[in-house]
Amino acid sequence: MRMRTRAAYGFLAPYLLIFATFWVWPIIYSFYLSFLATRIQPWSFNPTVTWGRLVVDPAFLNALKNTLIILVIQVPVMIALATVLAVLLNSQLLKARGIMRFAFFAPVVVGEAAYAAVFRLMFNADFGVINKLIGSIGLSPVAWLGDPTAAMALIIIAVTWRWVGYNAIIIISGLQAIPQDVYEAATLDRVSKPRQFFFITLPLLKPIILFCVVLSVIGTMQLFAEPFLITNRGGPGQATETLGLFLYRQGFTVLNFGYASAVAYTIAALAVLISLANLWLGRSAR
Amino acid sequence: MAGVSLKNVVKRFGSIEVVHGASLEVEEGEFIVFVGPSGCGKSTLLRMIAGLEDISGGEIAIGGVAVNDVEPADRGIAMVFQSYALYPHMTVERNLSFGLRMNGNDKADTARRVAKAAQILRIEELLDRRPAQLSGGQRQRVAIGRAIVRDPQVFLFDEPLSNLDAELRVQMRVEIARLHAELGVTMIYVTHDQVEAMTLADRIVVLRAGRIEQIGKPLDLYDDPANQFVASFVGSPKMNFMAAEVASIEDGRVTVALVNQGSARLTVPAENGFAVGDRLTVGLRPEHFGREGEGDCDLSIRVDMAEHLGSTSYIHANTTSAEQLVIEREESRSEIGMEHLTVSIPAAKAYLFDASGARLR
Repeated sequence: MRMRTRAAYGFLAPYLLIFATFWVWPIIYSFYLSFLATRIQPWSFNPTVTWGRLVVDPAFLNALKNTLIILVIQVPVMIALATVLAVLLNSQLLKARGIMRFAFFAPVVVGEAAYAAVFRLMFNADFGVINKLIGSIGLSPVAWLGDPTAAMALIIIAVTWRWVGYNAIIIISGLQAIPQDVYEAATLDRVSKPRQFFFITLPLLKPIILFCVVLSVIGTMQLFAEPFLITNRGGPGQATETLGLFLYRQGFTVLNFGYASAVAYTIAALAVLISLANLWLGRSAR
Repeated sequence: MAGVSLKNVVKRFGSIEVVHGASLEVEEGEFIVFVGPSGCGKSTLLRMIAGLEDISGGEIAIGGVAVNDVEPADRGIAMVFQSYALYPHMTVERNLSFGLRMNGNDKADTARRVAKAAQILRIEELLDRRPAQLSGGQRQRVAIGRAIVRDPQVFLFDEPLSNLDAELRVQMRVEIARLHAELGVTMIYVTHDQVEAMTLADRIVVLRAGRIEQIGKPLDLYDDPANQFVASFVGSPKMNFMAAEVASIEDGRVTVALVNQGSARLTVPAENGFAVGDRLTVGLRPEHFGREGEGDCDLSIRVDMAEHLGSTSYIHANTTSAEQLVIEREESRSEIGMEHLTVSIPAAKAYLFDASGARLR
């Protein structure tokens, strides 16, 4: 091996060591674990109580259903909002664009515990500001944390609030890559602004929107903090328990590592499958 | 087909005025070229005609109708952009037909117009491709095709050839000239390349720093520039400029000393009033230098470099001094390798400019 190459590996060694110990090894070991019955010592090979249990466990199916519901509603809504927001934040008419962009990006950098606490207060059924607002337009208050559907909506609202600005910033970078003279050419072609958006902006943003969708799908499949902190560990009952939360419960509350590993692999596989499906659906016509 | 009229057109960006009252009459069917260095306001002026920039003052009329407050799409113009501005996600056919389709144009008519434009530009076999699959020249043709299908009264070209390589540029220049002859439509063309301007234009508009310096036929600008800027901008290689000082004046003739050329003296006819000792500039085009003794004043020059192009040679002289000269010589093979050369200046071909660059006649 050449001196330069050896030196390069030398510098990389500390990182590679940590990567191997805390990334590669756990990934391999958890795959092995997912075939073991880990509830009784000694652990034994018994995939029917891990992989086999997945298809019959109503708690897992409930978590899967909840996660998919959130995914199907939250991801499209958030991406649509992010696209609109990106167009608005990119407008030449907007004053103080830098500050506005930061304001919408800021939720990402706010600590999860802090934002969850604020959401719990805002959506408190008795004295929360949201119910006050709802009441002021004559509607009856909503039991945000007590009603299964409302709790699900709350999770979707919270996740959307947190990530919409982040996605908008990514989409803005895509908007800025579209040359201005394409719009000028369209203006000369008598194409109205809304039609320019649908026939030029959206098609040209497709790759970047797909990128955001894939990122969001992966994020939502792992959704943990919001149901854990805002709806109090997936409550009411298990109405907002997600796959991430279910995995946590199996792995670190019940200490059933084998089953938790199988759940983890299922989450990863689903994220990959759904992302691939998105990429396939969004592929170019040619 | 329509003419274009600019009356005292002003453009301001905030408090900065970039076009200072431009006036111009473009005849129907005329090919007008705006030429000037970067930042002279030529593209801004074109964009104001297109309606892509607001007009801060003055009036622009197309076909006799003031268009200051008319939407770009309603001005009867079509524009070809420097970067082509093709819709990257659409095929060539879609690019050409997009505007017509969006405006609910009859399908059969759209197809007919696209086919005609494709035939004029010889891009029929490219109709199913996307812009990314085209070469620079092909993209430029599609961009022109998109302008043709609109059937405009006036074509606007914003430096359309500047992204092409030299060979393709010459080829496309010929194409655009052919297109103008074929369609007979008014064309306004912006370029910083004076060769494009000279070869394409019926009339050239030379701009500098937001002002029209001169308007005229290409050869009129070449032969009779209004000032030193136009003289230097039109013609390649550039006109030579030599610093001079008025040595004596006698009825209608002035004798100047070329201060950086060994104080050689040249007597030229001139009527304007100036005084002995005034600083002037003498201009002479490279091809107007004569052989030793042929002109009215001989210059001994040091040859630094010669470019032999076959039929002609360009001799670069005095390149290390403040005042370098370029001399065009035909059949100069016998002079290859010479270090010193004596050339002459024919007084009748020399131009005189005052210290502000204005032409003295």
